[in-house]
Amino acid sequence: MHEFSLVQGLMEQLTKLAAEHEAKRILRVHVEIGRFSGVVADSFSFGFTALAPLAPLTRDAKLVIMSPTLQYGCRVCDQRTVKTGDAQPEHCPCCGSQDFFSLGDDDIILQQVEME
Amino acid sequence: MCESCGCARDHKVSGNRQQANLNKSLFAANRALARENRKHFDRRGLVVINMISSPGSGKTTLLEKTIEALGHTTRIGVIEGDIETERDAERIRAKGVPVVQLTTGGACHLDAAQVHRGLHLLEQEEGGQNIRLLFIENVGNLVCPAAFDLGEHQRMVAVSVPEGSDKPAKYPKAFATAQLLLISKTDLLPYFDFSMDEAQAEARRINPALEIIACSAVSGAGFDQWLDWLRRLDAQSSATGKNRKK
Repeated sequence: MHEFSLVQGLMEQLTKLAAEHEAKRILRVHVEIGRFSGVVADSFSFGFTALAPLAPLTRDAKLVIMSPTLQYGCRVCDQRTVKTGDAQPEHCPCCGSQDFFSLGDDDIILQQVEME
Repeated sequence: MCESCGCARDHKVSGNRQQANLNKSLFAANRALARENRKHFDRRGLVVINMISSPGSGKTTLLEKTIEALGHTTRIGVIEGDIETERDAERIRAKGVPVVQLTTGGACHLDAAQVHRGLHLLEQEEGGQNIRLLFIENVGNLVCPAAFDLGEHQRMVAVSVPEGSDKPAKYPKAFATAQLLLISKTDLLPYFDFSMDEAQAEARRINPALEIIACSAVSGAGFDQWLDWLRRLDAQSSATGKNRKK
């Protein structure tokens, strides 16, 4: 549910950014949502759909959400494991350990904004 | 450098279209405020604990009992976060310590800006200038509060026995970001299918450095361990001048 306040923060950033670039319209907003950010992409997207039309600046803006590839590290052998599925791997492919930790992916990043 | 016009700005132009590459976290504003809070806490010599758990896990009762046990030797203050009502603040106020209730009006977590405001309000309360140990009781929610740094020194996550021992595995972020796991309401262990081993193993799998204390504020079992943990924080902080989260 905190997705809504993050979208509000995003809107403030977009307003500032548009002023800096003397842009009148935001066209496209690229956001990367990490798997472990605690942010649900659908809720974030819903918040954007609700708030964007309220301001002329963002009325026509499209939100593009990207998910970075999941990465896990193994505590036993330091092997870096890349996994693209939803769940973490059962065993480390290198040493068979089950002792994993997630690498990064705990943030939500405003990557790119297109405007005119 | 801009590929279209060669100017120093990082944008591309076609017609009057521009593209700005930012690579900026949406948590950046909250993190910056949290850093300011932490500096302020350190200047004031405060040790600050952010308490995160589901609703009804016993955070407020734990605080009441903690104030009863430590209130005469340690100057305690509390910031209460709830969606609605002053009820928790009234319970704490009845114990005679300065308290501020923040009602979020629907928001599911406290953020650094609210805590900043809460701290200034607390300083206006009687005794609010001389606090040593500040508890921030976050909104009851095991999900959203985990994503927001408040500037605290220590983060405590609580799971009560009736909630079940699968909570660390199901809500990993709260456990990954905490320093202490408190398993509460252990007096109810005979009545619930709660596996202490599962809860501890799952929590440590997510966060191997996590300290774990099991206690009951009602029976008093394990409660001394919790008080010792608090006393240790207080002592460490006195020795080093600060008590930073890793």
